[in-house]
Amino acid sequence: MSVIELSDVVKRYNNGDEEIAALKGVDLAVNRGEMVAIIGPSGSGKSTLLNVIGLLDTPTEGTVTLDGQDVTDLGTDGLTDHRRESIGFVFQAYHLLPIFTAVENVAVPSMWDSTVDRTDRARELLDRVGLGERLSHKPNQLSGGQQQRVAIARALVNEPHIILADEPTGNLDQDTGATILDELTRMKNEENVAIAAVTHDEQLTNYADRTVELVDGVRR
Amino acid sequence: MDPRQRFPSVVMAWRNLWRNRLRTVLAALGIVIGVVAIAGLGITGSALRYGTAQQFSDITNQATVMPGEDADQRHLTEAQVSAIREVASNATVIPIKEGSLQASSHTAETYTRVEQVTHPSDLYSAHRGTIPQPFRTGVLLNNETAAQLNVTVGDLVIVGDQSYKVRAILAEGGIGFRSSGVVVSPPALDKQGYSSVTIIAEDGDAAQHLANATEARFNTGEEVVRTSSFGGLNQRVGSLFSTLNLVLLGIGSISLVVAGVSILNIMLMSTIERRSEIGVLRAVGVRRQDVLRMILTEATLLGLIGGAVGAALSALIGAVLYNALYSSPMLVFRWASARYLLIGFGFGAFASVLSGIYPAWKAANKRPVEAIRS
Ligand SMILES: Nc1ncnc2c1ncn2[C@@H]1O[C@H](COP(=O)(O)OP(=O)(O)OP(=O)(O)O)[C@@H](O)[C@H]1O
Ligand SMILES: [Mg+2]
Repeated sequence: MSVIELSDVVKRYNNGDEEIAALKGVDLAVNRGEMVAIIGPSGSGKSTLLNVIGLLDTPTEGTVTLDGQDVTDLGTDGLTDHRRESIGFVFQAYHLLPIFTAVENVAVPSMWDSTVDRTDRARELLDRVGLGERLSHKPNQLSGGQQQRVAIARALVNEPHIILADEPTGNLDQDTGATILDELTRMKNEENVAIAAVTHDEQLTNYADRTVELVDGVRR
Repeated sequence: MDPRQRFPSVVMAWRNLWRNRLRTVLAALGIVIGVVAIAGLGITGSALRYGTAQQFSDITNQATVMPGEDADQRHLTEAQVSAIREVASNATVIPIKEGSLQASSHTAETYTRVEQVTHPSDLYSAHRGTIPQPFRTGVLLNNETAAQLNVTVGDLVIVGDQSYKVRAILAEGGIGFRSSGVVVSPPALDKQGYSSVTIIAEDGDAAQHLANATEARFNTGEEVVRTSSFGGLNQRVGSLFSTLNLVLLGIGSISLVVAGVSILNIMLMSTIERRSEIGVLRAVGVRRQDVLRMILTEATLLGLIGGAVGAALSALIGAVLYNALYSSPMLVFRWASARYLLIGFGFGAFASVLSGIYPAWKAANKRPVEAIRS
């Protein structure tokens, strides 16, 4: 069964009098243990698609199914709970919290959840991405590649079913990007997690099991 | 358990405040000023009131009984004094005779009002010398008479046709200060009856009550005796100060409103600056209510810090004031003053939390997609 399934998803933005259709009927399914690269020209709707998959945005039309459950019409809080429980995020700009150490940043998604203490898993994940010696470093004491590895650990801390990455190597040089992709691929296999990654990076498509190309809001 | 796990909002809020220490201090400073305005002005009002109450307290517990309009004689008789003693059995009853006599020393002489009292120590305090208790011999002089006769404690004066030793010079000041030049002990004044009777009760209310009871005892249709007491005065002064305090509190509240607006502004700015951080929190599954709680906690911490510092400063200012006025700094912790510390602190914390609500609500409801778009 697919982790996530989009069927006939349309997303329209309303800019005052002008209406822009960023997605014009997209079907997509991603399975566990699979890495899907989403490519396409700028403005083709890649980020919009990723936001819909990540339950950060709701489609104007169509349905979104997460682990077999229709989540299209869930409210803000319901979507938030699903994101916390089943989804991990990696951003181009890392987006770590400057007030927190590496371990704290990794544990942040469940920080307000008093039923679990993920500090140990956070340490273990940081160790697995090669930052075992940097546990209490603040983001400004880490390189870009190290910050992105902290972000990968954060994305994995809740044992997600799918990880969404928008240009995860966009801010990194070729070599560092490669190590990040190695890391993601390894984690994908170890944790049996689905990955959907938006990219302009040729390199990333080589790591992907499958590539989806968007042009002007439709799959090609 | 790890405090991060137990109080995540407090940990987050504290680190965010710490990250922007200067801004935090400035925001808290607004609250400090507001709290000092409220508590400082309130304490000032209560300090002034305290002084006035001290001045009045000597006389507010007194009631005076005099012959009324319809009395048979222009004085109170022995029988009437006995009746007053019955009515005011729990209070001190001091019959007073008054007259005018010649007073003289070796060098000067004057004509003055003379008062004959059994227990002068209940009515007067001594400025110099001591008032004898019981009072059987000698005289007490007020400042003016002592100056006119050019005598002091221990000297001899002649009042009427008797010679007396001066025992004390009386202290002046306060409202309702008695104005006799010479106070003598019975039976110096050769006069029928008493010009008035002073009743000294527990407090203002008791004095008022005894005055009413005395009138009820004597005046059946006719005004045989007339009474006066200062209980009403005390109340009027009290309500005057209540009004004054209300005005001062109003002024203080305005400055707190200003402080609240500045916190609102600062919190809004800081949540806008942290837009993407908050967006990431929301994206990775932190609930809206938790973001709301975190930012409200920031505002609350600001209010608590500002309120505590403000209350401490106000206590200090109050202590300095009480020290200057009454040489007794600890008076600031009398409830009448100390409550303004609590009121100021409470208002400060409240204003701060109130100002945090809108920024917190706004930050919590920001859609994460908009916040993290890079
Ligand atoms: N919030 C929004 N309001 C209005 N229009 C939007 C909004 N978000 C995206 N769009 C529009 O939707 C279209 C798709 O945007 P999207 O960000 O998904 O493109 P993209 O493929 O990620 O591009 P890029 O490679 O440059 O990141 C664009 O035309 C964009 O202007
Ligand atoms: Mg994009």
